[in-house]
Amino acid sequence: MEVEVAEPRIFTPVVSSRHTANLGAILCILTVALLAAMLFSMTVGAVHVSLRTILEAAMAQHSVPASDATILLQVRLPRIIAAAIIGAALSIAGLLFQGLFRNPMADPYVIGSSGGAALGASVGLFLLPQFSMLGFSTISLSAFAGSVVTIALVYWLARTGGRTQVVTLLLAGFGVSTMLSYSTYFMELLNQNYGLGMSVLVSWFHGTIDVPRWTQLAVAGGMVCAAGSICLPLARRLNTLALGEEYAQQLGIHLEYTRIAIIVTGSLLVAGAVSLGGLISFVGLVVPHLVRLVMGPDNVRLLPVTAIAGALFLVLTDTAARTLLAPTEVPVGVLSAFIGGPFFLYLLRRTKREYKL
Amino acid sequence: MTTLLQFENVSFAFGQQNILDGVSFHLEEGCCAALIGPNGVGKTTLLRLSAGLLRCSSGYISVGGQAVTGLRRLERAQRIALVPQQVEVPFDFRVQQIVEQGRAPYLRLFGGPTRKDQVAVERAMALTDVAPLAHRVFNELSGGERQRVKIALGLAQEPQLLLLDEPTQNLDIGRQVELLDLVASLRREGITILAAIHDLQLIPEAFSSVLLLTPEQRLIHGRPQDILRPEILEKAFNCPPRRHPVLVHQNLTLKAKIV
Repeated sequence: MEVEVAEPRIFTPVVSSRHTANLGAILCILTVALLAAMLFSMTVGAVHVSLRTILEAAMAQHSVPASDATILLQVRLPRIIAAAIIGAALSIAGLLFQGLFRNPMADPYVIGSSGGAALGASVGLFLLPQFSMLGFSTISLSAFAGSVVTIALVYWLARTGGRTQVVTLLLAGFGVSTMLSYSTYFMELLNQNYGLGMSVLVSWFHGTIDVPRWTQLAVAGGMVCAAGSICLPLARRLNTLALGEEYAQQLGIHLEYTRIAIIVTGSLLVAGAVSLGGLISFVGLVVPHLVRLVMGPDNVRLLPVTAIAGALFLVLTDTAARTLLAPTEVPVGVLSAFIGGPFFLYLLRRTKREYKL
Repeated sequence: MTTLLQFENVSFAFGQQNILDGVSFHLEEGCCAALIGPNGVGKTTLLRLSAGLLRCSSGYISVGGQAVTGLRRLERAQRIALVPQQVEVPFDFRVQQIVEQGRAPYLRLFGGPTRKDQVAVERAMALTDVAPLAHRVFNELSGGERQRVKIALGLAQEPQLLLLDEPTQNLDIGRQVELLDLVASLRREGITILAAIHDLQLIPEAFSSVLLLTPEQRLIHGRPQDILRPEILEKAFNCPPRRHPVLVHQNLTLKAKIV
């Protein structure tokens, strides 16, 4: 009697192209896209300046009317660069926090780090408006401090037995953020009462990229660059950390140092972003997620792509914010919430099914 | 034969509760020991102490003649690999990416993986037969496949001592046999293995010695045929005499002698 033998299963590698996406090619494409978006963004606004004029201005300034040059160099360019810096910073911070919390829902805004930075900044503004150290203004320094304290607090609150459940993370983030935003509001009241006239804070709530001074840009850009440069070794550790604390420890990783390094680096990024643009929600959630879909979960590959994609995302969003209801400007935070909010909810819905953490 | 792992009068307390009390034993290089004992008796704790992840409250633990707690973190991770029971990965990491993490103790702060790291990863995946799974998503693997991937990760560390925590847990009998074969082949590679295990009937096949941790926090160390006796096991596991099929129908002692 013949016994039917099952065909041995032939192994077909399941490497879909999306997970072997070429890092170099994607970086090139995104960089070109970012530069194109920035150029395009230069042309739009209350005064239309043609692309040609801009290119001429880049070559030799004298051929451009002085008013146009002022608009381009003193108004639009700084703002566009600010948007790029903020986008990159928030996206990298989101990536770091998702790795730290081992939870794909972590985002600087959701976990309250942005709120902490904002409160820190407003306290600094209220107490010591004139103080600056090593070129860093009170705003950036106290925003940094605020962010560090908040993440450490949320991390401590949200962790149970080496893990962060989605629910506890979101609740801890919500609780802390709410407290922070009302504290910031309170600081604003105090400011008004004492007549210090710090109307900055209102626009911060909604996330508006003001036209920054070049010095401001340099400080924030410096913070972001400093943080970005230590991200590579951190990204490797995030990969190991994904296996869980016990594994990471077993593999020779110093958990405390690594956590502190991630919190400090993430806070530098968030503080840089908040001091330029206030509270901009969900960028750090949407961008790393989309990039992860294309690049896979390896943080070393994710890091550079996330940074550029984040910059591109916010340059485009801010351009839209400037033009959609022109001459009225929509705060960029409103737009990013419109885009990111539904995305966040969609992820939350999916998380219920997929991530049993 | 030189001693690789040595416990000398090791005690460990968790809060008020004594988990290990004056435990002493030593494992020789190249041996393959099974760690057995009832639930909650401290088998995982013993493994974690051996890996230097916990500090004993008193006593002395050494690996290769050096105190475990005296080793630098990375050096420790290059010598000892612990394969935990559970691992949960929040993102869709591929099998190869998981195994590559075994090289973490060898990477410099700013450096990437070298050719040597690549070779070690490939070798570990070949030994455990997970190479065909290299591009699968870890979270989508079956229990047996995951177990082999975890062991591959441990092997990528190129350790002298491989600690396995319940490697046969939740595996069907076919996968259990696969795992035993893997353990046997690792033994041939000269890797010293200490495995906490519940499936007593699997021990005579693959292990050269048995450590029995009893509820009285004593530790009995011996050859399988000396430890795997119904009278000893029934007492240690608080199992009514002549009730458990493994102890009744399978003459573990006899099997152990044949092997």
